[in-house]
Amino acid sequence: MKTKKIISSILLSAIALPFFSSCNPDEVIEEIPEISTGVVVLNEGQMGNNNSSLTYYDFTTGFSSNEVFNNKNNRNLGDVGQDMIKYGSKIYLAVSNSSIIEIIDAKTFVSKKTISMKNASNVPSTPRSLTSANGKVYITLFDGHVAQLDTTSLIIEKTIAVGSNPEGSVIVNNKLYVANSGGLSLVNDSTISVIDLASFTETEKIKVVINPTIIKADSYGDIYVISVGNYYNIPYTLQRINTITKVVTKITDVKAYKMTIDGDNAYIYNYDYDASYKVINKTYTIYDVKNEKLLKSNFIASDAVQNTPYSIDVNPITKDIYIGETLDYKTTGKMYCFSSNGTLKYTFPTGVNPSKTVFISNK
Amino acid sequence: MFKNSVFNFYSIKLLLIICILTLGTWAFSQEFKNDSVHTRNLKTVTVNGQRLQTARAALPIQLFTEKEITKLNASNVSDIAKHFAGVTVKDYGGIGGLKTVSIRGLGAQQTGVNYDGVMMSDIQCGQIDLGRISIENVSEISLNNGQTNDIFQSARTFSSSSVICITSQMPKFNEKHSLSGKISTKIGSFGLVNANINLTKNFNNKLGVNLSTDALLANGKYKFLQNLNSSNSNGITEELTRTNSDVKSSKSELNVNYDFRAKEHISLKMNHFISNRGLPGGVILYNPYSVQRLLDKTFFAQIHYENKISPKFQHQYFAKFNRSFNNFEDSLSLTSNNYLQKEYYLSSSFQTQPFNPLYISLSADWWYNDLEIDFSHKFENFAFPTRNSGLINIATKYLTERLTIGANLLYTLTRENVKVGVAAPNRNKLSPAASISYKLLTDKELRIRAFYKNIFRLPTFNELYYQEMGNHNLRPEKTNQYNVGLIYNETEIPLFSDFEFNVDGYYNQVVDKIIATPRDLFHWSMVNKGKVDIIGLDVNLKASIKLSKTDYLHINGNYSYQSATDVTLESATYGEQIQYTPFHSGSSTISYSHNWFEGGYNMLFSGKRWSGQNTKSNRLEAYVEHSIFTSATVKQFKLTGEIINILNTQYEVVQFYPMPRRNFRVTVSLKF
Repeated sequence: MKTKKIISSILLSAIALPFFSSCNPDEVIEEIPEISTGVVVLNEGQMGNNNSSLTYYDFTTGFSSNEVFNNKNNRNLGDVGQDMIKYGSKIYLAVSNSSIIEIIDAKTFVSKKTISMKNASNVPSTPRSLTSANGKVYITLFDGHVAQLDTTSLIIEKTIAVGSNPEGSVIVNNKLYVANSGGLSLVNDSTISVIDLASFTETEKIKVVINPTIIKADSYGDIYVISVGNYYNIPYTLQRINTITKVVTKITDVKAYKMTIDGDNAYIYNYDYDASYKVINKTYTIYDVKNEKLLKSNFIASDAVQNTPYSIDVNPITKDIYIGETLDYKTTGKMYCFSSNGTLKYTFPTGVNPSKTVFISNK
Repeated sequence: MFKNSVFNFYSIKLLLIICILTLGTWAFSQEFKNDSVHTRNLKTVTVNGQRLQTARAALPIQLFTEKEITKLNASNVSDIAKHFAGVTVKDYGGIGGLKTVSIRGLGAQQTGVNYDGVMMSDIQCGQIDLGRISIENVSEISLNNGQTNDIFQSARTFSSSSVICITSQMPKFNEKHSLSGKISTKIGSFGLVNANINLTKNFNNKLGVNLSTDALLANGKYKFLQNLNSSNSNGITEELTRTNSDVKSSKSELNVNYDFRAKEHISLKMNHFISNRGLPGGVILYNPYSVQRLLDKTFFAQIHYENKISPKFQHQYFAKFNRSFNNFEDSLSLTSNNYLQKEYYLSSSFQTQPFNPLYISLSADWWYNDLEIDFSHKFENFAFPTRNSGLINIATKYLTERLTIGANLLYTLTRENVKVGVAAPNRNKLSPAASISYKLLTDKELRIRAFYKNIFRLPTFNELYYQEMGNHNLRPEKTNQYNVGLIYNETEIPLFSDFEFNVDGYYNQVVDKIIATPRDLFHWSMVNKGKVDIIGLDVNLKASIKLSKTDYLHINGNYSYQSATDVTLESATYGEQIQYTPFHSGSSTISYSHNWFEGGYNMLFSGKRWSGQNTKSNRLEAYVEHSIFTSATVKQFKLTGEIINILNTQYEVVQFYPMPRRNFRVTVSLKF
């Protein structure tokens, strides 16, 4: 009897041993208030982790949450949220590695449609950036195309071939300018495709410095392009293209990593690395696009943003500047709000890699 | 059903030759035909011998013999490693998925793998994929924390934080000098077909030859459940199919052993591995497209001479050549990259016994590594690095019935060269280790033990020279290990034919941990930034219960606690548990054996852990996997049936790499 007891107790302990530590997940589901007036931040996430997300920050209450999309739709946004625009009553999201366009209601954040972007042979075409005009959203596709989405029917109407691996795009005088980065080709592309939107045909290609990615327009018929270079001996380069004469001018007195244009100002940040890959020399520049000259070279203090800047956007009404930061590209980030004179107003936590900010008012 | 006479020598031989030809593996049959054969009289590892080996161990050792391996529902070495305490297997799922092993929170690159005396290496990535090592020809697998207790080893065996030792079956002595061996065929889920042939022949009392070949084919497809909401375990869940996970592989190994006399022998091993597999990658939500492929071709040959005739002076020598080629292809990004690495290795070890309980050993190793790459995309100025490594180890051991004291000092020297750019600085380092074990009572096998080890790993060629991300200024990644344990063994208690229990507590440190710091999403740099503190506990229990003369019950259980904290200054995850390391994990095995029948149950458990920052969306839930097996032996045939993950649990070891749910394997083998 006794030996039987010993055996059974050993048996039991062998089975039970690893169990005693098991515990229930302490899951807390956040309550999200009604979306009213504030900012929405697209967090790119870390590639492969499916952790792209939306942060909502409420101007009135100061509430912020990184789970708005998950909370309203009970699923993740996807992998690598590359771009976001608000157009009309909807927010359009290009989720690059998931190869989808996610369309949500700007008031409720509930998904209206998810479009899987694929080419004719069913290969994902990888959306990268979004631009809108005349009831259409134009989507650059990394497989070398631009698609036109109708914002009423939410159907992809047309697709056109451009250069290789297009990134940013911008519309000036009913023409779409597309930065062909050629990021995956043997020789990086170095052109801007010009597409006439009325006929939806490519009319010409403008040559710029290798690997153009960011492209923005001012209200004087000029576009500003940042070329990334070849990560080796050709550095980041800021250029201006006169859309009438097609003349390309290098702006050599401004170093630009990322930029945005609002009114007559281009807001630009830049940084360098030291030998141990620490970010140094963070600069925040305002370039006057009307008079085409450097306006302020350090309008925000170099150490005002603690870690690495990841995005820059400007509230078109208040002119507040929003700079997203990341520490290591894999952990949650932070959003800084600066007033137009460069003083810090407030910060709020974001998801991983805050890459784009849009401003919404649902009053 | 089958008559014995069917299995006469000639028909078996014919059958084997047909099998070899049809399998299309590059047969080493030429060698096997021409060679005269015999076998070394291999000392079999008896239960008692094994018990003694582990009982006196001042450094913790966990060991599974060939017989025990059959009870673990294992299909490769990594499945066995899951049953060791203190081990975290990073299993990317599926038949072709990468499986690496991290021991006691130190990281996979700190784990050494020793295959029949020689350390395996991967100079490019620094980690060994244990999923590709077949267990068909394995006689013993052990996990040695710190290093092996045996000091008569190559210097390189002392050079990692922990060592997994794999011992393959050597030709067994056979009086009749006839051909013996095993043929087995396995079929299972994921379209698995696996055939294995193992042949041994010894012609006289000196020469023995063993040939083993293994061919595997699988489509690797399986259905899995994917929760689309990382912030909520009740998120929308879809049933998806793992695709692009097919595997075609073949492994061959030839062992030749020549005994000059007792305790003096020379052996040759030649091993070839080739595989072509799809890399399904992590699940990308809403985008199942996957076209990446990996082709691997590895060949190595090693020679070992050993002379243990005199107890006063023993010596052994190793030589090895290794060539590993792989091609990575991604048609979506128009990538096709070739990598080729080679290693030439020489080692000599000497052991003397100046007076009775004291042993002193000296070993010296030298090896050379190089790496070549051929990229489809531009790769500006690849360094084409080469490294010469020299190791000298002096070890001593004082061994009495009650007291074991061991100490060693390892000297490492490296000389690195590049064709382009700047080479990593040369390294000259001394690494000490010490251990002690003491039997507390004269009449009971109860011992306390402790060890300390300081060691490092050198940066890999990828970490030093990979385009943009490589950093040639990287310092070695250092570890310190402190361990205190208790071990109890018993063979005399009623009913138990064998009983073993041990518990070890440890404190480990990783300093100058090599981590990738991204500059942006596409550009990462390797830096010596990380610091990790690990406090842990390993508990092991092994018991055999003799129910009757023919009936045995075997129990094996382990539990691990690991608190592995990131203590890197300025880290966003300071104070958090490091990635993929559960606080609690464990396993248990219960099996019953009767003459011709065996059946059993296996359980693997892992508590919650995180894929990175300890946030809700990075958390992986705890899981328990239950598996069962049963086997019957009729004459020379053995039939084994296995059901893995019998409760159909969906879980992930690596985030977004879903593990298979319920699956099965059936194996038929014939021994002759």
